[in-house]
Amino acid sequence: MHDMTAHAAAHHAPPQGFIRKYVFSVDHKVIGIQYTTLGLVSAFIGMALSWAMRIHLAWPAASIPFLGTLSPNGAPGGVPTPEYYLSLMTMHGTIMAFFLLTAAPMAGYGNFMLPIHVGAADMAFPRLNMASFWVTFVGFVLACATFFIPDGPPLSGWTAYAPLSAVGPVAGPGQGWGQNLWGLSIALFCVASLLGALNFIVTTIDLRTKGMTLSRLPLATWAWFINAWVSLLAFAVLLPTCLLLVLDRLGGTSFFIPGGLVVNDKVLPHSGGSPLLFQHLFWFFGHPEVYIIILPAFGIVAHVMPTFTRKPLVGGWKVITYAMAAIGGLSFVVWGHHMFVSGMSPYMAMVFSVPTLIITIPSVIAVLVFAFSLYGANMRFSTPMLFCLGFISLFISGGIGGFFLAQPAVDSYLHATSFVVGHFHFTMGLSAVFAAFAGFYYWFPKMWGRMMNETLGKIHFWLSFVLVYCVFMTLHLMGLTGSVRRYSQFVADFMVPLTPTNKFITIAALLLGATQFIFLFNVIWSRFKGPKAADNPWHATTLEWDTTSPPPFDNFGGRQMTVYHGPMEYDGDAFVMQTSTEKSIAGT
Amino acid sequence: MSSNEELGMGSYVGIVIGLMIIVVIEVVLTYQHLPVRTLLFSLLCLACLEAFVGIMYLMHVKYESRLLFWTIFPATLFVLVMLNYLWPDAYRMARMSLGK
Amino acid sequence: MSESELTMATGHEVLMEASPYHIEKKKLGMWVFIVSDACTFATFLFGYGYMRVGSQNWGTPFEFSSILNGIIMTFVLLSSSLTMLAAVRATQAGQKASANKWLGLTMLLGTVFAILHLREWVKMIGEGWRLFYNPMGGAAQFGACFFSVTGLHLTHVISGVIALGFVARGYNQGRYDESHVETAGLYWHFVDLVWMFVFPLMYLMNAR
Repeated sequence: MHDMTAHAAAHHAPPQGFIRKYVFSVDHKVIGIQYTTLGLVSAFIGMALSWAMRIHLAWPAASIPFLGTLSPNGAPGGVPTPEYYLSLMTMHGTIMAFFLLTAAPMAGYGNFMLPIHVGAADMAFPRLNMASFWVTFVGFVLACATFFIPDGPPLSGWTAYAPLSAVGPVAGPGQGWGQNLWGLSIALFCVASLLGALNFIVTTIDLRTKGMTLSRLPLATWAWFINAWVSLLAFAVLLPTCLLLVLDRLGGTSFFIPGGLVVNDKVLPHSGGSPLLFQHLFWFFGHPEVYIIILPAFGIVAHVMPTFTRKPLVGGWKVITYAMAAIGGLSFVVWGHHMFVSGMSPYMAMVFSVPTLIITIPSVIAVLVFAFSLYGANMRFSTPMLFCLGFISLFISGGIGGFFLAQPAVDSYLHATSFVVGHFHFTMGLSAVFAAFAGFYYWFPKMWGRMMNETLGKIHFWLSFVLVYCVFMTLHLMGLTGSVRRYSQFVADFMVPLTPTNKFITIAALLLGATQFIFLFNVIWSRFKGPKAADNPWHATTLEWDTTSPPPFDNFGGRQMTVYHGPMEYDGDAFVMQTSTEKSIAGT
Repeated sequence: MSSNEELGMGSYVGIVIGLMIIVVIEVVLTYQHLPVRTLLFSLLCLACLEAFVGIMYLMHVKYESRLLFWTIFPATLFVLVMLNYLWPDAYRMARMSLGK
Repeated sequence: MSESELTMATGHEVLMEASPYHIEKKKLGMWVFIVSDACTFATFLFGYGYMRVGSQNWGTPFEFSSILNGIIMTFVLLSSSLTMLAAVRATQAGQKASANKWLGLTMLLGTVFAILHLREWVKMIGEGWRLFYNPMGGAAQFGACFFSVTGLHLTHVISGVIALGFVARGYNQGRYDESHVETAGLYWHFVDLVWMFVFPLMYLMNAR
């Protein structure tokens, strides 16, 4: 028997006026849409940067039109200098990893859906939620601002390794105010993420409606909750790392700068610092970060799939949830696998390699749960389901590359090659993005009250699915031949025969980018002209489908939402909503 | 619900005085010319004791639900333990500067 | 459940699952924040440890006068935790005047701590200490580690004093109740407990 207490509907009055309703809103739904929009904008900016990079790699002498205007110094005549190429790469990684992948599936969908999933009227701390978004937004503006300052964006990679990132302007273009703005942007992102994680944790624990026990939580909510804990602990370590970097840059300290460095013919006065310390601290955050990116994807797929397979996931809620929790916990013990060739102690390499292989176990269990849940399914191949299937394929493909990279001996060869680029794009960039697409198509009717176009959605899926393999599987092969990453041109003689392959990747990448405009068109057109959505167009069971599309201000119109079932009561066409008093049909 | 009925104000005064005594012990230890490692270990143990007493009594966790204890301690300790992976490279840096 | 949480717009009751922690959400929120802030301080302290282990001739610059100053600061902070506890108890007993007295004392002790700390900083800077310079010829990292760690802690103390001011004002105006004061108290005790690590590691380990 669980306790229940009566609480006043602890939420705020409906806001008045445009600014309070749509700009500085404390409503989690508006904030979720704001984060999702930020993610969409980041996606297109990040993609544009990747197009510039890919065009330069395939045709090094080509003039890239917009670049010459954006940065006459960095891209004279539209041809990026090697330094500017690295700047493009740095901001591509930063904007994609932080402002798209970390923000959108968690803070975007999570903010919109989590309170509704648990049956609450809003998040636990709505004003803190609003503050989190606007702090993220300022961080985003600062990151984008680096393109418009004279010296340009930093070129030290999204990983900002010291001493390059720590020594200041002497290291190259973009390493003055570009890197400072970058550091400030990321520090703000840390603060916003910490506060957001806090909100998610307290909301999931404290704001569940009557009957919503933890065993009945929707799986996306479990993923967001576990992810919030991982975020909390990981960003808590990145924040001081950024502060120490800023102190090295502006305060003259030497946390990360060793003695005797000569940079561009200048002897630096620093001494006693350790670049390895930066790598340790950064990757202490950096590895959990990639799981912060993928856990919401697992959650979205686990949430969306049963709706379209019309049966519960194999193992019920427990297997997938325990797998996600294990991944979250283990993510903190593997970070050294990014540092196998850094000069780190080789004994530590083994200490990190073993857990890296162990963490594949819960990951494989999760993917197998998804794959085996297709067996005996009464499949509905709507666009969200297609993207879930795409996720399974992409995560397996990318994950297999991880087995190679987890062994220090093999990684010695593959580190810093395109193999790694292919691996992390598959696991982070593609799987997480496909899951995000699945969530987008799935929840769009609920968020906007209109259906997206299925035909355009299917075209978007198939083109994207084929093209991502063209681009990123080929990158794996390039890496195996020894193609080094973060190089702006391939002049080595062994790379010359691969020039056609390089061009193939670039063309596929540009086509992939063009395909996303189909999605964008679908979004904008459907938002205004799409057919009106019913309350429950997918015949799904979770609480968001037991309210109007879009939901009213307090999510449920003042109704008492009482939960009687778990989230996966599906049996073919029949289904029992979580709030229904009918008997269970799937035993969950 | 939290309540302070379990301990009177006098007990809290005693606890804080006890913490001050631990501080004095730490200072006394500092001037005993102990080897650095021993001093560090002793100070850390005493600091952990102070933190534990502070958390359980001043921050009232002893009288909160057990679940709160088992949430905050494992999460924080996990990160603190994992950060210890830094030491091998710190000692290598020391040996490298000695030219080894 | 406090009164102020019930005075919301719609006024009708909804049934919810009780919190498994049996504490209010703002207290739980503060605990979650404390966990993250503890990890942040830990990162700084581990960074300091790494620097110290990895460097030659670290040096131990603090004379007994600095240690004595540190002891006084520690006692001041510990006393402020006691006064904070008294303030929380007073709010729980509904004794507004007493609560204000204890809150004011806590803020005063926090301010005294900050002043003692800043005095010490000024003295050290006067002797030539900087983030990047060690006037005693030892590792330059000493200044970096000392000023960054104690600086972060000092920022927390000063923000805490300011936050207590806001909470006290809100309490007096009836917008806040004993749960707000208790939540602020949790933060204040946390800041005190961080000092329980900073003082031995930063001062005592560097005593002559």
